[in-house]
Amino acid sequence: MLRGVGVQYDMRLSRKRRLRGTLTGKYKDSEAKKFWALRKVDLEVRHGESLAVIGNNGAGKSTLLQTLAGIITPDEGEIEVRGRISTLLNLGAGFEDDLDAQENILLAGEYLGIPHNTIRRKLSEIINFADIGKFADMPARTYSSGMRARLGFSVATSVDPDVLLLDEVMATGDAAFAEKSRTRVLELMGRARAIVFVTHDLEAAEKFCNRAIEIDRGEIIASGSPAKVIADYRKRNSITGPSSLGKRGARIAT
Amino acid sequence: MRASSDRLTVGRPPVGPIQAFLEALASLRRRRRLIWYITISSLRGRGRDSVIGNLWWVLDPALNIAIYYILVVVIFARSEPAYPLFLFAGIMPWRWLSSAVSESTSVIRGRASIMRSVAFPTITLPASTVLSGFISFLFGLVPLAVLYVIYPERLTGWIFAIPLVAIAQIAWTIPLVIFISAVSMFFLDMQNIVNHGMRLWFYATPIIYSAEGLRKIAADHPPIDFLIKLNPFLWIIEGYRDLIYAGRPANWGALLGITLASLPVTFVLVYVFRRLSPYFVKVL
Repeated sequence: MLRGVGVQYDMRLSRKRRLRGTLTGKYKDSEAKKFWALRKVDLEVRHGESLAVIGNNGAGKSTLLQTLAGIITPDEGEIEVRGRISTLLNLGAGFEDDLDAQENILLAGEYLGIPHNTIRRKLSEIINFADIGKFADMPARTYSSGMRARLGFSVATSVDPDVLLLDEVMATGDAAFAEKSRTRVLELMGRARAIVFVTHDLEAAEKFCNRAIEIDRGEIIASGSPAKVIADYRKRNSITGPSSLGKRGARIAT
Repeated sequence: MRASSDRLTVGRPPVGPIQAFLEALASLRRRRRLIWYITISSLRGRGRDSVIGNLWWVLDPALNIAIYYILVVVIFARSEPAYPLFLFAGIMPWRWLSSAVSESTSVIRGRASIMRSVAFPTITLPASTVLSGFISFLFGLVPLAVLYVIYPERLTGWIFAIPLVAIAQIAWTIPLVIFISAVSMFFLDMQNIVNHGMRLWFYATPIIYSAEGLRKIAADHPPIDFLIKLNPFLWIIEGYRDLIYAGRPANWGALLGITLASLPVTFVLVYVFRRLSPYFVKVL
């Protein structure tokens, strides 16, 4: 039934035109300031796959995720995503300081495009999961950053998405919540939906994902089983050393 | 269920102006609750952290009127009869416009983090700006009751026609706010330009003085006269003033005219917004 849905990305960000899917900053017209945050990326993620995306800072991992989420429009090539996407990129990003937990959940649900009735039904479940206690009735400006992140995580994972995009969310909150969120993410993965997981946590990537790619300077340089890709990544990094890492990290801040 | 899950959610082909406009209308309708929550939040934000809180909603326009009253009546010694009421009919709608326009320079930029993490129809943000301006306008109408206690002879049934003039104002506020919110994503100078532009526009519109006076001066200079008549807010402010101050029907023909004239402008600017919106995240 619903589970049988195939989720397919088809990205051909190469060949004809040039990718301007880049963070060019304010100086759009000067050619020197342009760079390709992603380039010649061909990627397909199928139903049931969970893909780990690894790479150094500034390699284009987050841009890849944002492109998949439809936040950034590719300047070259095509992208297709079928199914409901849930993004866990920046938890609690949309919360308004002057709304309480319930209103913020409804607001976040609206941002995500979750039908109003669905999110309303899950309200108490979301608040319970986030474990924010008596702060539920207080405006969000009184929340700690951990509470915000927990609430954001609860909303984003409360409905079953077909495609789940995660950016380093395993480290949400304290140890207890990290454990809870880990279970929740595993649950979502278990329901056979496609997952794209951007992380620096190589152990987690190896454990949770059944496929991995490595991105470097906007290009996919390795793809295959997590164990192999990660082993290669480790090896290469000890060779290239931290100096090149630092240079690339300075190039872009996402 | 299957159909909805199979749907293509990212990577829809670009659409032409008409589809883009219809799509914008559809997403405004679908995300009406989003607009509403953002509006509530920004309205609440306005009253918080100040000692007398929401009283500022009423006090703000009242002090505004008091200042112009002192300037024009006491210092310049020129005024219209029942001048506070005359000022009120001009300043209240103007405050709605100017607050919406000045907020629109930051409405998208101020939500950078959500823009970077969720794909949603950005047009809801300027829409909420128009709505929150409208709601504070409605609250600002409260002191009108006080003014009518002072000038009871000015109160007529025509005040119930105020919503009709408000429609004409909304029709022009929407495209302006949408346009400015999009352009200010690319030019940080928009905030300054808008501030000065609004001040110039304020004095070019008969708000603290009467439209008749302006017409008399402009009558000898046909080009200026023509320019003045192009200003939709001349007609809108006069409309409010007819209903609130003069107690007579507004110039409905003119108001209908400017409302209709806003439609093609709105159409074009919504399309411009739609075309620019994919670049917002990149320039944030």
